[in-house]
Amino acid sequence: MSAALNRPAIRALVVKDWQLFEKQLAAYVLAGIGALALIGHAQRWSFYVGSLMLIIIMVAVACFAVSTSLLNERKDKTLAFVMSLPVSPLDFYLAKLIGNLITFGLPFLILAGGAVAVTLSTPVPDGLITLVLLLCAHQLLAFCLSLCVAMQVESEGWNIFAMIGSSVLINPLMAGLSQIPDIARHWPTNEVVWSWQALAILAAQLLLSLALLGYTSWRHLRKQAFY
Amino acid sequence: MTPAFRLRGVSKRYEPFVLEALDLDLPEGQIMGLVGVNGAGKTTLLRLLAGLTLPDTGSVEVLGLAMPREQVRVKQQLGLASEDMRLYGSQTLAWHMDFMRRFYPEWDAAYAQHLLRRFDLRAEQKLAGCSHGQRVKALLLLTLARRPRLLLLDEPTTGLDPVARAEVLEALAEVLLDERRSVLFSSHQTQEVERLADRIGFLHAGRLLACEDKESYLGRWRRLVGQGSVDELVSGWPEVAQLRRSGSQIELRVREHGEALLQRLAGAGLQLRQCEPMSLEEIFVTTVRNESRREGALA
Repeated sequence: MSAALNRPAIRALVVKDWQLFEKQLAAYVLAGIGALALIGHAQRWSFYVGSLMLIIIMVAVACFAVSTSLLNERKDKTLAFVMSLPVSPLDFYLAKLIGNLITFGLPFLILAGGAVAVTLSTPVPDGLITLVLLLCAHQLLAFCLSLCVAMQVESEGWNIFAMIGSSVLINPLMAGLSQIPDIARHWPTNEVVWSWQALAILAAQLLLSLALLGYTSWRHLRKQAFY
Repeated sequence: MTPAFRLRGVSKRYEPFVLEALDLDLPEGQIMGLVGVNGAGKTTLLRLLAGLTLPDTGSVEVLGLAMPREQVRVKQQLGLASEDMRLYGSQTLAWHMDFMRRFYPEWDAAYAQHLLRRFDLRAEQKLAGCSHGQRVKALLLLTLARRPRLLLLDEPTTGLDPVARAEVLEALAEVLLDERRSVLFSSHQTQEVERLADRIGFLHAGRLLACEDKESYLGRWRRLVGQGSVDELVSGWPEVAQLRRSGSQIELRVREHGEALLQRLAGAGLQLRQCEPMSLEEIFVTTVRNESRREGALA
């Protein structure tokens, strides 16, 4: 297969995905800002409601990006239309990867950045930053896993399982982190402490995310059918 | 002259379907109609040519370029409209036309406007609100306005009402006037194939049963009606595709009509009353039934 990339085509496909989903993504970001406002209110009830809302919105953004740009394209039979255009499987794959990283990444970065800013600039204890970032990194990992499964597996059931399964693992992660004293004991304080355990978990989450993207690329370029 | 496409030993297996090693050429500027029942392999063949699926064996060359290696260059000059291909329902036809323009420098905006009027479509209407016929016409518009050198159409008129079908066929007939443009289209509607195609390909159960010039192919088939005491062995002659008796009347469908055959049939006892050409539909049904019987006998 020709290795030369068709950059204008990749750009056109990324813009297409953005145009298709921009309104919904804007709605997610607005809802996320609402959740951040609740967290920043720094009342016990508003903190819990806001945190829960933020997690739900991040999960929804990840599921939305993957399901609309990949699963629905297959289900709605628009994939054959796109693949009949002058693009190679590599162009298509890169466009989907970039498109997904943008459609998920932009709201994700806004919301994750907002969560960090709210934690540092309001009466919410600064020590929670480690928890906030580890939970955000988990969402990134869950997104990469869902993306990987959506690129390889056509079964809707398996894709839903991957999306929900990876996202709900946030609960055991929170429970597990709270059991590590070197991480959890700094949460109620205003001191941001990155213990070696917190750094190791963060590094593992990021490396695993990258590995999943690499594996997805390797598998996708060996596909036999594109419709 | 470079052929529009050339397939050599191309096979593809999806359990339980198998497209058997296929050799097929289409000279540039010709129109080939592909006929076959559901599951015969027509869509698979079109997908192989469009690079939507890769062959298990063999080589595919389109417009002189090897697939899938040169698929981007091929797709620049190729238009595919398939029955199972959909556009984005949440977007308008105008959005789709703008999207296509980014991929095809040859995009003919004036022709797109002409087709818009001809097909009675509204550019600002969202595809989700369109009827099936409007969606098919919208896809054809997007395919034709890129001015492809090779046009691949998979069941282009399936599900259309008679008026929409006539509009689509008229637009296709107009496109086919361009002698440099090659077309491969599949259809259940044998009348359409008979009307539009220069060449005819018969696919059945993943095998190409016939592929040749339409006039000479239709010219070889005849329906013979007569009487007499014709031996049952005649049905085994290679020229005879079917022999049926109805009372004293005998009907033969022959695939290699000629004076020599008529003399042999007369020698076998046939008193010929009628000899008439057959429609493509009659030939198609006869061929498929013969194949099914042959496969049944082998099994």
